[in-house]
Amino acid sequence: MNSDQLLVLSPIISLSLTALILMIQASIKRDHRIAWWISTLGLLTTLLSIYSASNFSQDVGPLLKVDAWGLWFSALLIFCALITLALSRDIFHTQADTKEEYYLLLILSTLGAVVLVQAAHTASLLLGMELMGIALYAMIAFPKSGDLPLEAAVKYLVLSACASAMLLFGFALLYGATGDLSFAGMGAKAASGYLNNPLLVLAGAAIVLAGMGFKLSLVPFHMWTPDVYQGAPTAVTTFLATLSKGAMFVAMVRLILDGQLYRYESLMNALSVVAVASMLVGNWLALRQQQIKRLIAYSSTAHFGYLLVAIIALPHLGDTQQLGRAAISFYLVAYIVTTLAALTVIANVGGEEDSDMQAFDGLFWRHPAQAITLAVAMLSFAGIPLTAGFMGKFYLITLTLNAQLWLLLGTLMIGSAIAIYYYLRVIFTMSAEPHQLNKGSPTVLGWRNPVALLLMLAVLAIGSWPQPLIDLIGRL
Amino acid sequence: MSSPDAEIWPLAVFTLMVLVLVITMLLMSWLLGQRRREDATNEPFESGIVSVGNSQIRISVEFYLVAIFFVIFDLETVFIFAWAVAFFELGWHGYIAMLIFIGVLTVALVYEWRNGALDWGSKVRVGLKEAQTLEAQQATHL
Repeated sequence: MNSDQLLVLSPIISLSLTALILMIQASIKRDHRIAWWISTLGLLTTLLSIYSASNFSQDVGPLLKVDAWGLWFSALLIFCALITLALSRDIFHTQADTKEEYYLLLILSTLGAVVLVQAAHTASLLLGMELMGIALYAMIAFPKSGDLPLEAAVKYLVLSACASAMLLFGFALLYGATGDLSFAGMGAKAASGYLNNPLLVLAGAAIVLAGMGFKLSLVPFHMWTPDVYQGAPTAVTTFLATLSKGAMFVAMVRLILDGQLYRYESLMNALSVVAVASMLVGNWLALRQQQIKRLIAYSSTAHFGYLLVAIIALPHLGDTQQLGRAAISFYLVAYIVTTLAALTVIANVGGEEDSDMQAFDGLFWRHPAQAITLAVAMLSFAGIPLTAGFMGKFYLITLTLNAQLWLLLGTLMIGSAIAIYYYLRVIFTMSAEPHQLNKGSPTVLGWRNPVALLLMLAVLAIGSWPQPLIDLIGRL
Repeated sequence: MSSPDAEIWPLAVFTLMVLVLVITMLLMSWLLGQRRREDATNEPFESGIVSVGNSQIRISVEFYLVAIFFVIFDLETVFIFAWAVAFFELGWHGYIAMLIFIGVLTVALVYEWRNGALDWGSKVRVGLKEAQTLEAQQATHL
């Protein structure tokens, strides 16, 4: 281990140290505010260390592969964690008597996500995924009042455990076929393994992708999503929707690219079926949701269906593979920033229990800033020009056209068309006459307003002036 | 190269045999076995003794905590033993890595201790100082 490697690992080390300091703080003197500041400072230090590590790009042992792509997404995940921290500052104020552990769990979960996006080996993938997941179960169940968080946590725990078991079984089959557990080694040896025993490679890869599909809530594995999104505290929902899913998707892209799984046509056909089902079923189920968090949950299923199209298109691109990676990165960034904006407003306005659509009646008159942010987020989800979502969709459609995947392109169009209906419904609800119940005193938002405005500006900036981000992503 | 179909048929035969075996066993015992219907026939029992009470008992959560601690510190010894066997081969690198490992575990132990996880009986989930003042208050009340 030389100093370069230590420098490259510094984001992970910095996050681990933050977790340790939080534990020491909780054992010396419990204080909600201090714990919040320690976590914030720890995350900011990690951002700095990512910046200093970005000049290096190398493999660290067999487990981790630190490159510009992974570091960029690590930075994005840390940003998600920071927004989650900002949202959680007040929500647990009156509830549990021990709030410090929440921050500890949040840091540990972030650590798991950072390991996940830099994983180059099935062992580190599994370690990162479990660290991220196990901390998340506890975060979901953190509020002491009400049954919903507990129900959500148990559902997520049981189904996640099944997904992890599937993932492990898939890895075992792939190991049986190739005799290697690192992504690159697997990819190199899978071809000869495929000749010997095609079933072993295909079944292994399919089971692994199913396990990952669960975490991304792709359709047939999407059942847990609405209940968990609704039951979890909104800050934790934000964390789950952006950090956990984003990290898992990056890991999936790495596995498919480095493990060269895109070479097996039947596997890609199976992924196409999953993508089409996710786009259609996700959008269709979102149509009639009355709870805005459930709506976001189903729409996330659809969005990861769109993202899957980019993965499927990759092998068809020939020499324009760079475009595929750029499209995936751009769409993921756009989706994460938009989701952060939407859920920030939901946390600010809906409060903890009440994410019912009625709570948003006439929001334009009560909290104009919040309402505009949510409206921009919804337009971005729908892919209306001048928002981040439009540029993301533009990228995806260009990619699908280049790859000449007409069925997927058609489904993407139909899915987006259906989606406009329910995204606009949210905006119509906000512009309706204020509901009788909601005419009372407006909640004081204070510094939460700027967070929402900042995210709205980010969504608009990425959409209307995307060149800096495109350049940045192109260099990864 | 053998085709996948050729490789999978033993599995299919095996599955079929398992099904046939189970069905035969159930069928035979249903056909040939004796049937009784007395008071205690359908009651659950264990080792020939009729059970007492019900299964919905509450177990103190402390047993669970102790079990978790056992797993953690048990694993710690496993790693330390593995390191000790190769102590000279691993050299300073191994030593430093082990120091970090034990350091993290020590922090965890301090955390558990300060949170009252090691106390048996009533839990006071506050720091030591607060716990002492609380005890003093209770003493004055008495």
